[in-house]
Amino acid sequence: MSIPYHYVNVPTGFKTARIIEDASEYAHLIKRARRPLLLLGPLTLRISLNGRLLMEYGVDIAKAANIPVCATAHTKKKLLELGVTPESTYDIIEIINHLKDKEWRGVKKEGNHDLVMFLGFRTDLGQQGLSTLKHFAPHLRTMTLCKYYYPNAAYSLPNLKDDKWGEFLENLIANLKEKGV
Amino acid sequence: MVVIVKKKTRKDEKLEIIRAEDLWEPVGPTPMPDLADLRNWDMRLLKTYKPFYAPFCDLCCFCTYGKCDLTGEQGGACGIDMPTQQGRIVLLACCGGVAAHGAHGRHIIDYLIEKYGEDYKIDLGTQVAVEAPIIRTVLGLKPETLGDLKKAIEYVERGLIHLVSSLHTGQEGSDLDYESKALHAGMLDHVALEVTDIAQIVGFSFPTSIADTPLVDFGWGVVDKTKPVILCIGHNPATATSIIDYLNQNNLQDEVEVCGICCTALEVTRYSKAAKVIGPLSRQLFFVRSGVADVIVTEEQCIRADTSLEAKKAGSALIAASDKACYGLDNVTEKEADEIVKEMVEVGKQVLILVPEKAAEVAVKVAIKIARQREKELIEASQVPELVQECHNCRICDRNCPNLLPVGEAVEQAGKGNLEKLIEVFNKCLGCGKCEQDCPRNIPILKLMQAVASGETFKLRSGRGPIHDVEIRKVGAPIVLGTIPGVVAFVGCSNFPEEIDEVAEMMEEFARRKYIVVASGCAAMAAATKKDAEGKTIYEKYPPDFDAGGVLNVGSCVANSHIAGAAIKIANIFAALPLRANYEVIADYILNRVGACGVAWGAYSWKAAAIATGCNRWGIPVVVGPHSSKYRRLYLSRKEEDDWTVMDGRTRQLVDTQEPSPEHLINVVESKERAIVTIAKLCIRKNDTPQGRQIKLNHYIALHKQYLGTLPDDLHLFIRRTTDIPIFFKKEVMEYLQKVGWKEKPVLTLPTLIGTYPSKVPLEAVIH
Amino acid sequence: MAGMFPVDVGPQYEGEAIRKADFYVEFGGPDVKSKFELVTLKTMNEVEHEKIEVVGPDIPELTEGGSYPLGILIDVAGSEIEKEMEPVFERRIHLYANYIEGFWHMAQRNDIWMRLHKNSYKKGLNSLKEIGKILIFLYTSEIPIIEKISTTFITDEKKVEEFLPKALEVYKARDERLKGIREEDVEEFYSCSLCQSFAPTHICIATPERVANCGAINWFDGRAAYKLDPEGPVQEVKKGECLDPIRGEYSGCNELAVVKSLRSYDRVYLHSAFEHPHTSCGCFQAICFYIPEADAFGIVHRDFVGNTVMDVPFSTMAGQTSGGRQVEGSLGIALEYLRSPKFLQADGGLYRVVWMPKEIKERYKEATPQDLYDKIATEEDVTNADELVDFLKRVGHPWVKGEVELPV
Repeated sequence: MSIPYHYVNVPTGFKTARIIEDASEYAHLIKRARRPLLLLGPLTLRISLNGRLLMEYGVDIAKAANIPVCATAHTKKKLLELGVTPESTYDIIEIINHLKDKEWRGVKKEGNHDLVMFLGFRTDLGQQGLSTLKHFAPHLRTMTLCKYYYPNAAYSLPNLKDDKWGEFLENLIANLKEKGV
Repeated sequence: MVVIVKKKTRKDEKLEIIRAEDLWEPVGPTPMPDLADLRNWDMRLLKTYKPFYAPFCDLCCFCTYGKCDLTGEQGGACGIDMPTQQGRIVLLACCGGVAAHGAHGRHIIDYLIEKYGEDYKIDLGTQVAVEAPIIRTVLGLKPETLGDLKKAIEYVERGLIHLVSSLHTGQEGSDLDYESKALHAGMLDHVALEVTDIAQIVGFSFPTSIADTPLVDFGWGVVDKTKPVILCIGHNPATATSIIDYLNQNNLQDEVEVCGICCTALEVTRYSKAAKVIGPLSRQLFFVRSGVADVIVTEEQCIRADTSLEAKKAGSALIAASDKACYGLDNVTEKEADEIVKEMVEVGKQVLILVPEKAAEVAVKVAIKIARQREKELIEASQVPELVQECHNCRICDRNCPNLLPVGEAVEQAGKGNLEKLIEVFNKCLGCGKCEQDCPRNIPILKLMQAVASGETFKLRSGRGPIHDVEIRKVGAPIVLGTIPGVVAFVGCSNFPEEIDEVAEMMEEFARRKYIVVASGCAAMAAATKKDAEGKTIYEKYPPDFDAGGVLNVGSCVANSHIAGAAIKIANIFAALPLRANYEVIADYILNRVGACGVAWGAYSWKAAAIATGCNRWGIPVVVGPHSSKYRRLYLSRKEEDDWTVMDGRTRQLVDTQEPSPEHLINVVESKERAIVTIAKLCIRKNDTPQGRQIKLNHYIALHKQYLGTLPDDLHLFIRRTTDIPIFFKKEVMEYLQKVGWKEKPVLTLPTLIGTYPSKVPLEAVIH
Repeated sequence: MAGMFPVDVGPQYEGEAIRKADFYVEFGGPDVKSKFELVTLKTMNEVEHEKIEVVGPDIPELTEGGSYPLGILIDVAGSEIEKEMEPVFERRIHLYANYIEGFWHMAQRNDIWMRLHKNSYKKGLNSLKEIGKILIFLYTSEIPIIEKISTTFITDEKKVEEFLPKALEVYKARDERLKGIREEDVEEFYSCSLCQSFAPTHICIATPERVANCGAINWFDGRAAYKLDPEGPVQEVKKGECLDPIRGEYSGCNELAVVKSLRSYDRVYLHSAFEHPHTSCGCFQAICFYIPEADAFGIVHRDFVGNTVMDVPFSTMAGQTSGGRQVEGSLGIALEYLRSPKFLQADGGLYRVVWMPKEIKERYKEATPQDLYDKIATEEDVTNADELVDFLKRVGHPWVKGEVELPV
């Protein structure tokens, strides 16, 4: 059994995340999704990997697979500086509130999303948000991209050290850029 | 002879309790409402502000049929589903809050009635004629004596038993109805708060009718360690004030230091400005471990459960003074004071004393005696590397930290002589000690922080109690005409996500923008942790008046009643709406027309949940920090999808305003930057005059640009006519409005929800 | 707004005072003889749009800590602008200037006083041209009928002194126009509903001889506000037939009252405190209250501390007066209404006033007839109604002596 990095996120029920360590498998899940959505949290402004801001990795992922972005908290400003205009600026709880409604039309009004990806949130808040979607949004799957095991996600990375995490993200981006599923 | 005895109904009983024959106002539709009396109002609120659940635990473990995993379509063995279970736990938390505040109030009332009698008059000074806006509105009673306050507490107690009953297995089956009960609990909680603070003010002669209360010393370093030190922790000021009295009576006030943590600190400094405030809840363990306190006196609420152990470790004596927290200690209340002192000094016995005056006497005597024998040495920077030597970077401390802090890295760096990271961690530390609990090398992490914790003295404004009627009258016009963009209240506990001084920063942002800024409880203390370039805290920088650009501390957490009270008084004093048993009309007024917003950035307790839910029933929105996602429930709208139709009281027509104001009733925001922008938005109300709307939008737009880089993405929802656009941004905004295809919307002066749902209240009541 | 101007601009800077020790330079004020501000309507050809000129030394050439003369000339042009709007636009200088972070503006016309904070100077607000830019930006943002606007700042003392008499003439002409106009001379009054949010049945009426209760809107302000925003809270009211010239009852106002007060009253007297008095919300500047013992009136203003001669403070009386109700003997008024020739005309006007706070009495000294001034009691003369009656008898107040005839 995997233990979340932060003990406050200890799992409390039967349904827990499928832990995936292989970037190509992650990429496959993302490409297979019809309407993925990437949620960027404020920690993307503070965490750096290999000299790059975590947000830049987020931007690369979004660009590589043409994924719309929801800039939560105050991430919009930096995102604009990086040349990306987010499709939504709902805050984390607000976007989750919309996502859990099957009938919602999504950030591009094309239909609700089926794969929601999380990057750069505090783990306790992330775990709570994922709980809402786990229990009340059976029409979508959640996927976390941070270096922590998130029991409430559908798909999660294991706890990783920074070097392995950076490697994973780079591999993921490379995989996403490849043609084909 | 036949004697016909008229049967007394419950309604008759209520009218008797509230002295209905005393016609200071006619009695409204809901005197002393029971659980289902305001249900229609609740359901109307919940229709727009739907419950949003984030289950904290997948299981229900409440009965012996469990444990039941409620994930997905699974229900519990009793038939309950996940949303209903979450509503149930929320109600449980709110009941706990009601009980905590109510029992504290009951203690104080009983204590004071014993001292002064039931007929002791309530007088809050020449500036406060509307002495109890909450009791007047909820019960329909104008309290004149302590005996009247007792009636109010009895009303709370009576309601609480029904609410707790509904928590039992096989009770409520609807999440919305659990929420309605939670809202009811919140309302009862506010009554309890008001009873308690009025009783305290009147019984302990706390300041009232004064805005300019003294600035007191705050900070863990403010205590004179060379003197005997008594530390009071908790919420009930009976013991703390008795200690002050004892010192004064025996001319020892300059000999002994009295300091406090948590609400007690805020109470005792309303009693004596010589008392010192150590800090909020997050500084409790840190300070206890420092050993600076010679005697620790605990009463109730928010005290560490292991205080007995910690006191022993630190060599401090301990007196428990409340039947809520006895720690397994011997009850020595009946013994002679000097006998108790002897046992405590000679063999280090810790005791339970349930009479405040005796506890006070013993505390002082013990402190004086043992202070002489104790060394109070604090850790210095030079000692740190040695203490950290054993650390092998396992990072179990990181994993245990509920605030997710990089404790391990801070300790590692400190070992090398670099204390930067440790300072950062200390500023965000919640003071729980979990980092140390599992440390395999027993590194004394909290003690290390003594080397980096600033020992500076900060100035904190002591609590002033209710807002003055005259102040309310004065701000009425500016609020209408728009020079005051809103009232923002920073309240609640210290479970902050980041630095403790974020609250000070947020408050400053609004004070300098000429909002009215109010604070209470641990948040009021956190506000004092930041000094500007001139060394001033926010309390020294801004005037303590309930006016534009004013920064006030109403007092402890029970003083939160005065914040809701201010909103109620605006409806009554300025808009001349009757309060008596008129809850729905007043709450409708506040929701639609009073631009107020609460912020509980570090809420952690059940009490906070009750207070916030109580605010919500009044129609006051609240912003909470990320930890509050663990309360499991929020009240959110979806601005573009939901129905923002209200009744226009002037034309008696329903009007679709398309304006989400306020957008949510309680919402979790992750970062302080986003919180600041959200707060500005949440102060917008449908009846803003064009000038008022201009001013509010000026701040919303300016803040959104500053922190998010652009005009707000929902700006078009808040512009009714072009005269709503703040001058400075007019050109940009006009362009934007054209781009999104904006159309003009009606400006209402009498927006109300009355008429949009089934209610006993006639539309006329909204106009008086 | 980051980047656009060297300092922040917004309503939160209104009311921000700058102390002597903190100002970089000061313009106008009590230590300077010549200063003025003037807005003039010109033709389209006469105005070069967005031109900003400084005649004389600009701020960098002035000595820090000094006080200097200043004339501000703002020329506007636009096909829909009328000459009467000049004073309304001129008062905007005060509003806009105070929006500027670290810049303070006080008073109006030839009384102006301005200070520039050292911090704002350091941030780059170091030229009158910058101030001019901000003013022009705000004018053109707020008032679309201004098609062209230019500003000139005169700091050359001689030139300021030269221009000053011309400005004074303009001010005088405006005052003459204002003084001359009576209710009889116009067909329309103006109503303001800004406070209805707090008092749903209240509607305020501004006439050439009656300022709105809050003191902020006189008849000219009303006219300009209505022209600038015809859908706004200030509306034109045709006065209709004059039903009672003494009490100030007009059919148009009565019809308006029915609608705006949600039918709670249908008649209003503009100049009487009895029978159908004008209502108030809660923002009136003062209360004109009936004193039964003297059968006369007292005036008390919002800032008055302590009990009035009626043994209750302003706040208690305000409770009675407010809320959009017609309360006989309790009238919310603007202080400027004391100067009106029709002040409380039906009830005896100023001659029936027997008590006023000292501060107000002194402030409105020239509006009070000389034979009356010393006979009005203040809080320094009496503390209750009995003492008041004695005082009035002693000084021989005309009303008490029965010398005042009520108009019929």
